[in-house]
Amino acid sequence: MNIAAPIMDDLRPPPFHETWNHRKPAEVVKKRAADLPDMTALSVRAVMPDLPETIWAEDPLLGPTNVDEVRRHAKAQAEAMDWSKIEKGRMVNIIANPHGFQLCGEAYVTMLEVIAEHVRTTREARVRVRIAESMGHIENPDWVKIYNLEERFGDVTECPQIGPGKKVDTRLGDMYVLKKLFDAPYFIHTHVTEMREGYLHRMMDRLFKPFGMSYARLESRSAYHFGFGPRTGQIVSREIFESPDIQDRYVGTMVLDTTSEGVVGVHGNNDLYALDRSLAAGIMTNYGAVMRILGEIDDCVVIFDDHGCSVYTYAGGIAFDNMLCADVDFLDLDNLSVLAPEIHDRSDPGLTMGKNNAIKSIVINYMAGGVPQPFVWKNFPIHIVGETVKKWLYNDPTNYHISDAKPQVWSSLDEAVAAACKAGNTKNVIAFDRTPGAFRVSRPLAEHLMKRARAVRKQVEEELLPKWLRQRGLA
Amino acid sequence: MPKKVRMVAKIITENCTGCRLCEQVCPTVAIGMRPRREDEPGKSRNIAELDSAACYNAQGCVELCADDAIEMVELEEPFEVGFGIQDKVDTDEVKALCKKSGFSPIMRICVCTDTNAGDIAAAVIGGADTPEAVSLATGVRTGCQELCLQPILRILAKAGHEDMERNPKTGFQWYGESAVLWDHLDAKGEFPEEILEHYPNFPLETERADMGKLSKRSRK
Repeated sequence: MNIAAPIMDDLRPPPFHETWNHRKPAEVVKKRAADLPDMTALSVRAVMPDLPETIWAEDPLLGPTNVDEVRRHAKAQAEAMDWSKIEKGRMVNIIANPHGFQLCGEAYVTMLEVIAEHVRTTREARVRVRIAESMGHIENPDWVKIYNLEERFGDVTECPQIGPGKKVDTRLGDMYVLKKLFDAPYFIHTHVTEMREGYLHRMMDRLFKPFGMSYARLESRSAYHFGFGPRTGQIVSREIFESPDIQDRYVGTMVLDTTSEGVVGVHGNNDLYALDRSLAAGIMTNYGAVMRILGEIDDCVVIFDDHGCSVYTYAGGIAFDNMLCADVDFLDLDNLSVLAPEIHDRSDPGLTMGKNNAIKSIVINYMAGGVPQPFVWKNFPIHIVGETVKKWLYNDPTNYHISDAKPQVWSSLDEAVAAACKAGNTKNVIAFDRTPGAFRVSRPLAEHLMKRARAVRKQVEEELLPKWLRQRGLA
Repeated sequence: MPKKVRMVAKIITENCTGCRLCEQVCPTVAIGMRPRREDEPGKSRNIAELDSAACYNAQGCVELCADDAIEMVELEEPFEVGFGIQDKVDTDEVKALCKKSGFSPIMRICVCTDTNAGDIAAAVIGGADTPEAVSLATGVRTGCQELCLQPILRILAKAGHEDMERNPKTGFQWYGESAVLWDHLDAKGEFPEEILEHYPNFPLETERADMGKLSKRSRK
């Protein structure tokens, strides 16, 4: 293992899976971005040498791929938690989320197994797994099949947000949650700490977020966006969590703590407030420089080459939303940071975000649909590789307007990237292909990022992180 | 911008068990039930039936169907919905309903279909009295469905349709309005102490001021 080397070309992107709606991108995508000439894998650890060591990683170059340590940590956490609320023989819902499977794979499943086993043996309870599905569910890999969840857990149900709901009373009034997630006398909340949708949760009550998002019904999910501001949407999550009906059923939380390389810890607590505050500083420390270095790119072509839809594709262990919004520091609570590039005004730059002028073009080798991205199609030239991928995108209920961007369709990835680079007058390319622990970039961009890494670390450590912590009462 | 519908659902009758989930979730209620004909293979007495003109490619039915009884098929001739809806009603009425509901007419509500508050208000003024009718008129709620519901319910309620019934009655296309923060501002435009005290780390006052600035910028 050589995790200090800046270039780690042996790291590969994870393979494509068949999707829930029976698409087989592996049969359609002829070439991955990693196989383009002049692409390389810049180690995230080269940018952030102080990352904690992993206890599980998807690739052996980044740490152990067996789940022994995850199991040991999860067991220790489970034994330290109080499960006495659960009465013998009663039903417990373990609530899981697709991001856990996507980013942490067997480690996440192992954590769920430890929880299930512990609750069954110590409380003689019945256990089932409820997966809180949200946008793009049918275009995602079928995690239930990929990880044999029905064999491993028995009763497993995917619960889309369009499914039946129920009302809960909150301090602010009625809110709505998904009925199937909370249809047992007890539930256990699980999560991973990775930095997707930071522009929404703003690292305010980060571990509560699913209560206002994937656990919420459409009504309250909509209210998160339209009835609250960008720094206060998380109040929906807190209100739902604190509602009497949810509190009656809540037992505890267990999370995988992650970095760009994989899992670095397992943490459990009955007290979600305490757990959230104990992990918040670490999350910002471990992801801060990785997020901010994307703002150091002056010009580039972005390739989507992954499951996930646009902002939910990953590079260097973080989602594309971090790059799309790199024009504004959305962890700085002085910035409103509404995702609204169409009304951006340079005279008050912190108010809106989402038009990163460094992005010269976007090449879609493959991406899932299911999440509306008009702010991408309207703001950047689009290139698509192959007619099948084009057809999938055009037929997406949420992105039919990609056709208005008049994307150019190319027969090969090489042609698409060459055309995009030529039009954008850049040699910098970054692929969001979910390679763990590394940025998949062209060599000129790798060299540029290496040159900027020290200054970015310094800025985060000395200026930004102290401010982020201070604003959240964590300093 | 109108939505371009490129696919519609197709019922695979032999797989349909008549469970009605598709009918209950469809945002445009494009699916109903009918008796199974004697010559149709399959076991259930009733099966789903599609009104393809009302199917706007939302795919919620595909997501919920546990019997693989629905597939999406490409249309040879795609069709557009929601085109020019504000041209058909009085502009001042649209503005007034939007104001009463707390939205700028140009505020984008459905990102998937690029439907703004003015479009929704126009549909309601034009006769749409439920979210399903608003969806049929505008295309709204036929994409991800996860962002747009609250403002639709709010505009309908402010137009006097707060007691509307679901269609079908057992459906779960929508339940009711969810609580919002802005409703808790007092007459002076300030948050009550109870909320400020409960959320000491949230920049509530700054949020209110910045959202006001953003609103002004949108109006420009």
